Order: sequence, then structure tokens, then C-alpha cells
Amino acid sequence: MNNAISIQNLQKKVNGVDLYSNLSLEAEKGGITAIFGPNGCGKSTLLNVLSGLAKQDGGEYHLSNLQRFHFSYIFQNYRESLLPWRTNFDNISFPLQIRGKDKAFIQKKIDTLMSLFKTDFDLQRHPFELSGGQQQVVAFLRSLANEPTFLFMDEPFSALDYENSLRMRESIQTYYMEHKPTILFVSHDIEEAVHLADQIVVLSKRPTTVAEIIKNPLPYPRTLVTLNSEEFHQIKNRVLIAFQKAAKL
Amino acid sequence: MKNKYALIGPVLLLLIWQGVSSLNLIDSFFLPSPFTTLKALWAILNSGAGLNDIASTLQRVLISFFIAVCIGVPVGLMLGVSERVYRSIEFIIDFFRSTPSTALFPLFLIVFGITDASKIAVAAFASALIIVFNTAYGVIHGKKSRILAARIMGASSFQIFRSIVFWESLPQTFIGVRNAVSLSLVVIVVTEMFIGTDQGLGHRIIDAQIKYDIADMYASILLTGIIGYLFNVIFLFAEKRFLRWTNK
Repeated sequence: MNNAISIQNLQKKVNGVDLYSNLSLEAEKGGITAIFGPNGCGKSTLLNVLSGLAKQDGGEYHLSNLQRFHFSYIFQNYRESLLPWRTNFDNISFPLQIRGKDKAFIQKKIDTLMSLFKTDFDLQRHPFELSGGQQQVVAFLRSLANEPTFLFMDEPFSALDYENSLRMRESIQTYYMEHKPTILFVSHDIEEAVHLADQIVVLSKRPTTVAEIIKNPLPYPRTLVTLNSEEFHQIKNRVLIAFQKAAKL
Repeated sequence: MKNKYALIGPVLLLLIWQGVSSLNLIDSFFLPSPFTTLKALWAILNSGAGLNDIASTLQRVLISFFIAVCIGVPVGLMLGVSERVYRSIEFIIDFFRSTPSTALFPLFLIVFGITDASKIAVAAFASALIIVFNTAYGVIHGKKSRILAARIMGASSFQIFRSIVFWESLPQTFIGVRNAVSLSLVVIVVTEMFIGTDQGLGHRIIDAQIKYDIADMYASILLTGIIGYLFNVIFLFAEKRFLRWTNK
């Protein structure tokens, strides 16, 4: 079996009421899975359970070959997970400092990341001196610093404008093709979900179940040309229809 | 611009004082005019005895404050990390925080004798409580999201403590430290009014009162206020410097 993430009959209650009672899902190793669904269906909670931050009330899940230092999770609230007393440089290098990496190694790693993401903020400044979008990029770069085998992202591009979101999608694909982490992300944006993911999981309203799983076999990197292609539109449309059904719109 | 407004308060105070004095609302024996008082203040600053009083008060305040920080910050951090421990001794802290520590001075006199040590100890005790309380509070009420993020990255408990918990509590610790230095000054000056002191501003105030040297008494009080105010300014400045990242 080549599944990096497998979830069986997961049950999670919130205030005594089932958020989901029987959720099952698989994600391939080195694949990108997008979670898409109506508000309050427990998308973030799912990431929290899988990352061990929240406890499930039943069922099982397994992340294969999970190693310390190689798991990254970008919270939805990126602002409150950055360390405001550290410079941007020290924020991005924090995961490497935890592992006791030396200065030269850290500098090299950050140079690589910065060139990959073509961002132009000042690394010697502090997060509060950056815009919301730039802070999100810092949180993003930090999550990649330790070359995660698992990367969880909760609406990672929510603070970026469309142009910068497109840029980040391009950069993350470059990174992805090189390192092949298993990515699981929550998105509120159909285009973003279909653009990045090879499987889009559409969740239903509460009590949440997997309404539909839509595969996106388009090859990476998916460029602006891909975004305009007929196949892309068809997949996006299928997700939209599945979502409308799931959300009972 | 901001500094210009800051002057209004003191000028207003002096004007009211001068008004009360000129209109003879209060007998000038009990409330000398600002001019007389400032002249007395100038005399203190130009006399060896006056400078000695200032120096010994400052010395006691700084020593007690230093002890309070050295004890209060680590203890506060430790208590904050374990909320259960904090809750179990919260009563003791809140009780002594609410008790006027100067009332405990006789107790300290018995333990430390009629020496400087007993003054310093009681001031350090009162200040340390304030620092412990604020530091622990800062740790307990710090955002948990950063700790979770670090844990997911694989950070050890010690790394989390050193890189996150300590910093997260720092703004609240600073509030405690700033209050503590003011409290140190208050407690030291009050204890200097008791027996066994031959130098210090508190001693000077009580002495002047007994000798009916009212101008000197007000001048000494004014001097104490100025010192307290300067401490506050220094700490606000330090806060701006070290807590720039809170972006307030």
C-alpha cells in the first residue's frame, strides 16, 4: 500500500454532537490532497486530529513514516504562530535551530528557499513590519525549512491577493516537484484547490462525510495555460457540482 | 508634539499650588509656596547631607528591586508553566499582595534586626510578589498557538520554554517589573520613616516634619516623587526598546 495518510471510520464530537461519525479517507504518498467543504464541516479539525493537536473520539488514522522534525503544519492563523520577537530570518530558520543546525547550513537553506519563492521582503525585519500576505509567506517558508515529508496547510493563501496567490502556487509546485512531500490542505477557493491538488475531497455538511473525491490527473507544473484549459474547467466544474450537492445549496 | 502636552500637567499643578498659596487658602506655614519649596529642594541638592539621603534611598531601592527581579521572574515563570502549582499557591500570593507589606515591617525587624537589610528585605518581598504574579499571569495567558506550532516542529519542552514561553510572557513581566520598582521606592521610603535610619529620604521627611521644617519636608516629598517618576520613564523607555515587536 502506498498510502501516506489513511483514515478509517474517524469519529469526532464537538460539544457532545458528532462532527463526523464515520469519516474515511486515503491520501497517496507524495500526493497533494485538497479538502473542500461547507463552513463548519470540520476541515480544520481534521488537520488538528491528524497532527495530534486534537483527540479523536473514535476510529483510527495513520501517517506512515512520520518522523520528528519532518512534519509541518501551517495554521490558519499564521499571525499567531509566527514568533513576533524574532526577525523574519530567525522565524524561517526556527525549525532548523531546533534541530541544532549550524549557521552556514541555515543560511544556505534560507537562500535556497528565498530564491525559489522570489519574495522581496527584508529578512532582518520583524513580522509586524510586513503585510499580512508577506507574513503568510514567512509562515510558509518556515514550514518548508525542515523539508517536511508531511505538509499540512490550513488556507495557506488566504491573506494573499490573487496575483500573489498565483505566484505562490507556482513556487509551491516547483518545490513540490523537487521534494515530493505529502501535502494535505484545506481550501476555500475552488480554483486554488483544483490548481494544486491531485485529489479534491469534497466534504458534506454536518454530520460530515466524504461526499465525493475528484481526481485531477493534470501534470505538474500546472501553469496559467493549464488554468485556461478545457480539462481544468471540467474538473473545477465537477468539484463545484459536488460542492453544491454536499452543501445542499 | 506629544512632549508639549506632557508639560501641561506639572505646570497646572504648580499654578494651582501657587494660587492656593497667593490667596492664603492654607496657612503658608503648613503649605509653603512652590517657590519656597523649590528653593528648599535646590538646597537639598546642594548639600552633602541631602545628596547622601538621595544616594542611600536609591541604593536601597535598587538592591531590593534587583533581588525582587532575580527571585520574581524565575519563580513566576516556573509557576506559570505549571498552572496546577500556580493555582495551589495562588491564595498565598494574592493574600500577601493585598496585605500592606509595610505592616509586616515589624516582623522583618525581628528577623533581620534594625538594619538596612530589613528595609531591603521587606521592599524586595513586596516587589517580588508583584513580579511573580505578573510573570506567571503572562505565561498562563500567553497564546498557546505558538507553543503548538513549535511542538509540531519537534521542539523539546526546554526549547519551547526558552524560545517561546519566556518571550510570550515578557510584556506582562515588564508590567510587573515596572510596578515593582515603584513599589520598592514606596516601601523603602516608608520604612525609612521608622526607627533605625540615619540616612534616606523617608528619614528626611519625618525629620523635617518633627522639626517643623515644612518647606524641607515638601521638598523631600517632591524629590521622592521625581525619583519615582524618573524610574517610570526609564522603564517605559526600556519597554519601547525591548518590546518593540509587540507593535503597540
